[in-house]
Amino acid sequence: MPVVSPVILALSLSEFQHLPTRLLIALGVALAIVLVLWAVCEVPLAYNVRNLTVRWKTTIMTALAFTLVLGLMTVMLAFVNGMHRLTENSGQPGNVIILSEGATDEGFSNLGFSDVGDLENQPGVTTTADGKRLCSRETYLVVNQPIENATRGGPQRRFVQMRGVDDPEISGQVHGVTLLPNGRWFSSSGVQEVPGETESAIEVVIGEGVARELSRGRSAEVLATAKNHDRLEIGDVFKIANRNWLVVGVMQSSGSTFDSEVWGKRSVIGPKFGKATYTSLVMRAKDGPEARKLKDLFKKYEKASVNPLLETEYFESLSQINKQFEFGIMFVTVFIAIGGVFGVMNTMFAAISQRTKDIGVLQLLGFGKIHIMISFLLESLVIAFIGGLIGCVLGSFADGLTATSVVGSGQGGGKTVVLKLTVDAISLAYSILLTLAMGTLGGFLPAFSAVRLKPLDALR
Amino acid sequence: MKFLGLIVKNIGRNAIRSILTALGTMMLVFVVTLVWAILAFLNVALSEKNANFKAIITERWQIPSQMPYTYASTLCEGAATKPDDVRPMDSMTWQFYGGSIEKDRAKRGMNNVLFAFSLEPIKLLTMMDDLDNLPSATAAVFGKSVKALQDNRQGIILGRTRMETLKKKIGDTFTIYSMNYKDIDLEVTLVGEFPEGRYNNSAAINRDYLLAAMDAYQQKNGKPHAMANKSLNLVWLKVPDSATLGKITAQIESSPLFSNPQVKCETASSGIAAFIEPYRDLIWGMRYLLAPAILVTLSLVISNSISISVRERRSELAVLKVLGFRPNQILTLVLGEAILIGALSGLISSCLTYGIVNFPPPYGFGGIKFPIAFFAAFSIPLAALWWGPALGAGTALVGSFVPAWGARSVKVSEVFSRVG
Repeated sequence: MPVVSPVILALSLSEFQHLPTRLLIALGVALAIVLVLWAVCEVPLAYNVRNLTVRWKTTIMTALAFTLVLGLMTVMLAFVNGMHRLTENSGQPGNVIILSEGATDEGFSNLGFSDVGDLENQPGVTTTADGKRLCSRETYLVVNQPIENATRGGPQRRFVQMRGVDDPEISGQVHGVTLLPNGRWFSSSGVQEVPGETESAIEVVIGEGVARELSRGRSAEVLATAKNHDRLEIGDVFKIANRNWLVVGVMQSSGSTFDSEVWGKRSVIGPKFGKATYTSLVMRAKDGPEARKLKDLFKKYEKASVNPLLETEYFESLSQINKQFEFGIMFVTVFIAIGGVFGVMNTMFAAISQRTKDIGVLQLLGFGKIHIMISFLLESLVIAFIGGLIGCVLGSFADGLTATSVVGSGQGGGKTVVLKLTVDAISLAYSILLTLAMGTLGGFLPAFSAVRLKPLDALR
Repeated sequence: MKFLGLIVKNIGRNAIRSILTALGTMMLVFVVTLVWAILAFLNVALSEKNANFKAIITERWQIPSQMPYTYASTLCEGAATKPDDVRPMDSMTWQFYGGSIEKDRAKRGMNNVLFAFSLEPIKLLTMMDDLDNLPSATAAVFGKSVKALQDNRQGIILGRTRMETLKKKIGDTFTIYSMNYKDIDLEVTLVGEFPEGRYNNSAAINRDYLLAAMDAYQQKNGKPHAMANKSLNLVWLKVPDSATLGKITAQIESSPLFSNPQVKCETASSGIAAFIEPYRDLIWGMRYLLAPAILVTLSLVISNSISISVRERRSELAVLKVLGFRPNQILTLVLGEAILIGALSGLISSCLTYGIVNFPPPYGFGGIKFPIAFFAAFSIPLAALWWGPALGAGTALVGSFVPAWGARSVKVSEVFSRVG
């Protein structure tokens, strides 16, 4: 969160060793070039720094433009990172998900009861210590929940993602989901009598993300007695489809799509919303290679038409929207950056026109044209680097903030998710590369124009 | 006029600086225009109309909405059963038919996928947003496509972008291998295209064809298709005012005919709001973080440029004062330079953005393809043509005010004492 952000930045810096090789090489080369330029430049850097401080207003304004561009980029990349991490962390490498043939999304899949029974008895599925097969039979659906105290003109309902499962403990193990302390999985009946209510409440466990979402819009009276103002807690009740839903557990599912789901007894939830079939079957194999074998086995399965996918592949397919966002962010960043480059060019051209006499003197003192050019280029890079670095630091304050979004294959369906903005070493590396590129592009032409001056003309 | 001439002349004196400032402005106005175009579209989609607005009827609890087709005729009448019940002005049913023109599943992807609205063709002209108020020339051309779809049950109308992506032309016949209506593959003939705009990626087929195909499935297999009881996705109603909508909503929601599944009736904007709700943080970021930050960057770029310009021309400004220019005239002169550069470059930027973004490929982008809700692409509205100059001039005014005030306050004695 904001207070620890500089610490996060420092941690991110220590993560630089985990950067993809190409990016690491690019960053290394860029920084090496800057250092080499500094080392070979005979004009002392102090000269440039002094000039920057003399023209401090212009320097600050130019640097501020870099700060804004890089700060924005860091925040936007943190958003996409959060989406990527969500889809990456949701799939277990040993899991195979079975959908009906032609379905690419759980929401559009229908598996018959008899098919599911046969499918889960195939070899290659691991078992628990007490011999239960690690197969999660699931019915996934999205339902409407009218928003209490909705504002006029605003949304009157929200979408809630529900997952009906037969055996919650097995499903939890298959998906690597556990409960926060004091919680429990829903009972075998899936419902519970509530004192004072004529109708029983449906027991559910919910993700931390959806616990926050469902708590939005609670009335002042409800909030006055609420255990937690920011999210629903164990024992809280919410309403959907004219029924009370009782929270009996909160899932420790932060960073996965399950964080935005409500899990309940399939035999209660399915019929309640007219979904009589399963939508998916998720099975756990021993490891990744075994999961691949299991998937291949189901590809040849003839008793029913199914679409087997590695769970990691399935969630990878849900990152299509992330990629579109990423493209959009890159597109926007590039154009803002080009605008910034023109700004820094202006500054550097002005700096050079104000210091034509300096350039003449430097040339007469024996400094080579190339050194004068490097000197001005370094000046531009210093502004860019300092401004950009401040932008990265400010942008890193977004780390850990939560936001809602949608992940999906881009072909309909998709899941509403609560994601955590993540500033990581990769996005910081890209930001630093961008700021150096902007500094170089903005500084090169003016620096080149400086060396075209003749000493005597410059002194005139 | 002389004053304007002086402003123009001053801009031309440092051509590189003016060009760089203009280019920076154009880039940043371009990005802000893109962001505002998306936000403006969403604002329009979410704003409640006062009259002749549309209502959507969908399944009450589940997404995606899947209702029995038997609901269609009664819902289209607003569930009016008694003589004094209220009826809608017009209505339309939607069934979503999705598939691919590629038979081989392994080769299916975005380049061969096709999602079509299955509807009564004439409703394309009376009930579809933006198609119901086309300019007369465009309406006449599109009307022919609709007539062709009505006459040819196996017809299909495609948007221009989708047509190019699928590499099809009018008159082509091809098969759509269904993804959501298993074993109901439809052979269709391309009979027309949607007008340029928001339907560039859309497709529409004649509902009679899909219904007939489902009947044929039942005859062949001896049982109804799995989708038979849930093929109706949406019903649209056109109502004159909110009072009528309220009555129709009450008629529908109290009707025993729609109990399994239950249905709900809401305004189109309310329905869209629910789909946009998951993007609220993203939209907040675009509205209150991205766009303002770009505007501040733009102001900084202009401010820097004008500051430098003022600093370089202190002697000249002092001379102007000696020649009788009043401080406010000098202020106006400097502000005028900034505003003229900002407004002109903003205008050029917004015109280019309008053309480049709205034109279909290969000449343009064919809209902003940003994945928010079910909107395929966002067009740049005509209003953007004034956003550019306003943005450029506004940020120039803000960015140049301090340096212009500095120019106004130039003291002749100080400047000439230094020159001396």
